[in-house]
Amino acid sequence: MNKVKNKAVIRRLAFREFRKSGKMNCIVIFSVILTCVMFAALASVGGALINGFQNESMRAVGAKSMAGFKFCMEEDYEKIRSDRSVTGVTYRIIVGTVINDELKDLNVELNHAGSDAEAKDSFCFPETGRLPESEDEIAVSTLMLDRLGLPYETGVKVPVVLNIDGEIGEHEFTLCGFWKGDPVAPAQQAWVSREFVNKNVPKPQTSFYDQLGKDSGVKYAGYMQVSFDFRSSLDIAGKTEKLAERLYGNKENAPYFGVNPAYQTSNADSDSVTGYLMFTLLIFAAGYLIIYNIFRINISVNIRSYGLLKTIGTTSKQIRHMVRTEALIYSLIGIPFGLGGGVFLGRALMKFIAVTLNIGSADNYTVSSDILLPVCAAAAAFTFATVLISCSGPCRAAGNVSPIEALRYNETSINIKKEQKKTGKTTPLSLALSNLARNRKKGMVVVLSLSLSLIILNSVSVLLNTFSFEDQIRGEITGDFNVVRKVMHNSAESFSDELQKINPEILESLRNTEGISEMETVYGSEIFLELSGEAEKKMDALKEKYAASDQSGIFETIENHGAFGTLYGITDGLGKELVLSDGEFDEQKWKTGRYAIVTTGYLELRGTETDEDVLYRPGDTVTFTAKDQNTGKTEKREYEVMAVGSLPETLDKQSSFYFDSTVIIPETEYFDLTENRKALSVMINAGEGKYDEVSEKLSDIIAPEPGIYLKSIESLRAEYEDFTRMIKIVGGSLSAILGLIGILNFVNSTVTGIVSRKRELAVMNAVGMTGKQLSSMLMWEGICYAVLTAAVSVLLGTPLCFLLVNFIAGESFSDSFTLTPVFVCVPVLIILSAVIPALAYRILCRESVVERLREN
Amino acid sequence: MYVLKTEALTKVYGKGQNKVTALENAELSIEEGSFAAIIGTSGSGKSTLLHMMGGLDRPTSGKVYVENKDIFSLKDEELTIFRRRKIGFVFQSFNLVPTLNVYENIVFPIQLDGSDVDDKFVSEVISTLGLENMKNRLPNQLSGGQQQRVAIARALASKPAIVLADEPTGNLDSKTSQDVLGLLKVTGQKFSQTIVMITHNEAIAQMADRIIRIEDGHIVKGGAENE
Repeated sequence: MNKVKNKAVIRRLAFREFRKSGKMNCIVIFSVILTCVMFAALASVGGALINGFQNESMRAVGAKSMAGFKFCMEEDYEKIRSDRSVTGVTYRIIVGTVINDELKDLNVELNHAGSDAEAKDSFCFPETGRLPESEDEIAVSTLMLDRLGLPYETGVKVPVVLNIDGEIGEHEFTLCGFWKGDPVAPAQQAWVSREFVNKNVPKPQTSFYDQLGKDSGVKYAGYMQVSFDFRSSLDIAGKTEKLAERLYGNKENAPYFGVNPAYQTSNADSDSVTGYLMFTLLIFAAGYLIIYNIFRINISVNIRSYGLLKTIGTTSKQIRHMVRTEALIYSLIGIPFGLGGGVFLGRALMKFIAVTLNIGSADNYTVSSDILLPVCAAAAAFTFATVLISCSGPCRAAGNVSPIEALRYNETSINIKKEQKKTGKTTPLSLALSNLARNRKKGMVVVLSLSLSLIILNSVSVLLNTFSFEDQIRGEITGDFNVVRKVMHNSAESFSDELQKINPEILESLRNTEGISEMETVYGSEIFLELSGEAEKKMDALKEKYAASDQSGIFETIENHGAFGTLYGITDGLGKELVLSDGEFDEQKWKTGRYAIVTTGYLELRGTETDEDVLYRPGDTVTFTAKDQNTGKTEKREYEVMAVGSLPETLDKQSSFYFDSTVIIPETEYFDLTENRKALSVMINAGEGKYDEVSEKLSDIIAPEPGIYLKSIESLRAEYEDFTRMIKIVGGSLSAILGLIGILNFVNSTVTGIVSRKRELAVMNAVGMTGKQLSSMLMWEGICYAVLTAAVSVLLGTPLCFLLVNFIAGESFSDSFTLTPVFVCVPVLIILSAVIPALAYRILCRESVVERLREN
Repeated sequence: MYVLKTEALTKVYGKGQNKVTALENAELSIEEGSFAAIIGTSGSGKSTLLHMMGGLDRPTSGKVYVENKDIFSLKDEELTIFRRRKIGFVFQSFNLVPTLNVYENIVFPIQLDGSDVDDKFVSEVISTLGLENMKNRLPNQLSGGQQQRVAIARALASKPAIVLADEPTGNLDSKTSQDVLGLLKVTGQKFSQTIVMITHNEAIAQMADRIIRIEDGHIVKGGAENE
């Protein structure tokens, strides 16, 4: 076939068509904008979250670089630096650790940063001052300054006790720079100058790796940690491995190398990915429904002109091209506005999510300018894909139109399969019903589009119903206030396994706090259970049953070291708070001191244990050996099991062991076993009307204490309310946008439906159907849509809602299921769906019957 | 006795420079039971005249009496109701309601009125027009000639004072046109129905008992019954 230059004329036609239909364009563009807003908002929030997680994990790792080689010599550094595949090669020289007494709970490394970039990549670049230059200069974090009791001023003297490979020395440095310390980082850095390194650290003569496996002890000082980036973050591990092979012949000869865990994709857990996919699909569906419908309507409106174009020789391909060009114009206009609105919305949502969910430091989770480009690109691509996919069907329809059919086109001409129609009485309602049936696809799209927003709205409210404050705080707090020990992982604050963190003096101050109505205390220490008789048999049975699947070798540990457990001593008032699974708490018996509450459980069972899996039942005797931490004295004790049960989680030791056994005895019995009077946790209730006063006083007592913190029911309530507010806002805005799309879709298809039937309605009017009858017929059509929407929302929405809420809330919520939002919205929808067609008809009536009859 | 009478009927479209006088002082009277054809070229004002005779359009001045009732003294809604009771329309492009079957289309104006359908009469009309076997079919399953026969049945079913046919054969081939016109004339006679038909086709006009000629908005011949 000959190639002809017809692109320009087709493009001109497309532009003319575009300019012809003003109102329709506005609706299409508006729907493109709405779709793009949703995609862009989603992408912004997603991008900010991923970026935030990455930043957070970089901070937790303490490095931004993609990968690094460990314990290198200077020549290694030069070798790595000369490789073309790597960029941003930086190094630090290991000096030692800072071991001042004041820094006991802070892990401080002393190193030399090879460049500013190295310090920046480690999040340890001085915000005030600079990196050290002369031998006596040092740059440290504010956390270290705090511990040393030094002011945030350059020039102050910093005394440092330094451990260089086991040799302890004291130095006095001058502070030349400092930065805000990050408690999340695994270690605090302190930087010294190259001069200090040259004078105080012997330059390594042999490779670090030669020392390994020898008895002489390993020296670290003087070796370099080299970090670098690749040009892209794809397959960092593979590229690092290849680099090692290239530089050293094979991996084994190379220094240790590793990839920054922050770049490992495992950060994104599958649940959030699934959730994200669901949302993307939802938006895609909403966008598809409206854009598809509008294009379809647009084409049925223009079908006569397409027929005409075909008659005069336009090919299907050219018509398709024309429709696609129109889609391109809509996208070009709509997407920029959508991106702007979406990023704005995304920023607002993200700010809100970061603040309310209290995730890390909110600064990490912003829609920053560096993620803006990928975010916008992704949103634009998704929107454009939605537009293209949505218009592909209508595009084909436009292309396949036969000129004769097009000229005769009215909505009924498609897909009427039935030959006969039963005769019935003709009323406005019956007419409306048969009109609905004439274009089922259009009706379905409108109904689905409207239902989508109702379903989301309903799911959000079911989700909110699912959460009750009482359920949420169960497991978070017992009573009004809890004082518990901090359990932190991966942090510079050194974590000891010591259970007792609350000193007797603090206990005393707490007890003396004015306004409290009750204070109960939990003490805790470690014990070993002596299994004998029935308990031993049960343990053997348990081992037989689970040993094969035991991942952590717990049975072996128990065999070698005994059955590890925790002993709790509690004040009598806590008896009522215990969580019992078998037997009852008898206060009289409890006070005799001969009874204990016991739980034993193999954690892998996660609450599914049967009677045989539990070692002790009420009435059995439990025997254990306890060791007094103060005196080192051990003592064997026996108690009768009063009930099977445990402390409320909030007051226990906040960590668990694979075989978790706890024995709870009265405080008096506990004190008899040990002289240690430090407590594990405290529960406090405020007297009536004294809550705020008590809260303030307790905070004053607890705040300065390291290792413990105060939980209060009010702060939990505030957190809970923030959380539910976030769901309301996110869910509300999602349903609002979807609702808007749904209504827009409805308005659009109703109005165009009426306009395209202009002549038919005029004929009905001519043969005697009054305006009132016509209006009521059209209103019935609208109401039918609303009723169908309600039906679909209930029938389709119920299972979808279960699925969605189950996915998000992750628990059964049958009690909280409701359809109230649907039933509240339906009357509004019915009114809207009656008013809109009536209005559209009234506008139509501006033209006289004769004018409308002449319409072709 | 006159079923329909017009008095100095004038219709002016537009204003100022765009002013077009479509019809001027048209005087016309139609005798009961007659079959009249209004003939004129395209743009002569024949459709305007028919629309005003049927109460679809209001005149700029002048009056239309149907059974001695000044139809433009009625309000819009009243006029619509008057139309469905007293005037039957047959349009060039059939204009059946696509979602109603043949029978429903025929009795549509009667049902809109809430009146009982005179089954005997409607059956007679249907059989006269040869539509017995297609009562349950939808309009898009019919040929053009069949559709126009349904439209004629619809116009007759409510026993109107007058049937107005606007180029009823304009969309039909000549063979079908002859059939349809024949049927229109036969049924008109059988049910003593007054029919006014407009056409631009001289041959078709010849089938009528009386020919009214219109040119440039003026009735030039045949306006009065005995002219």
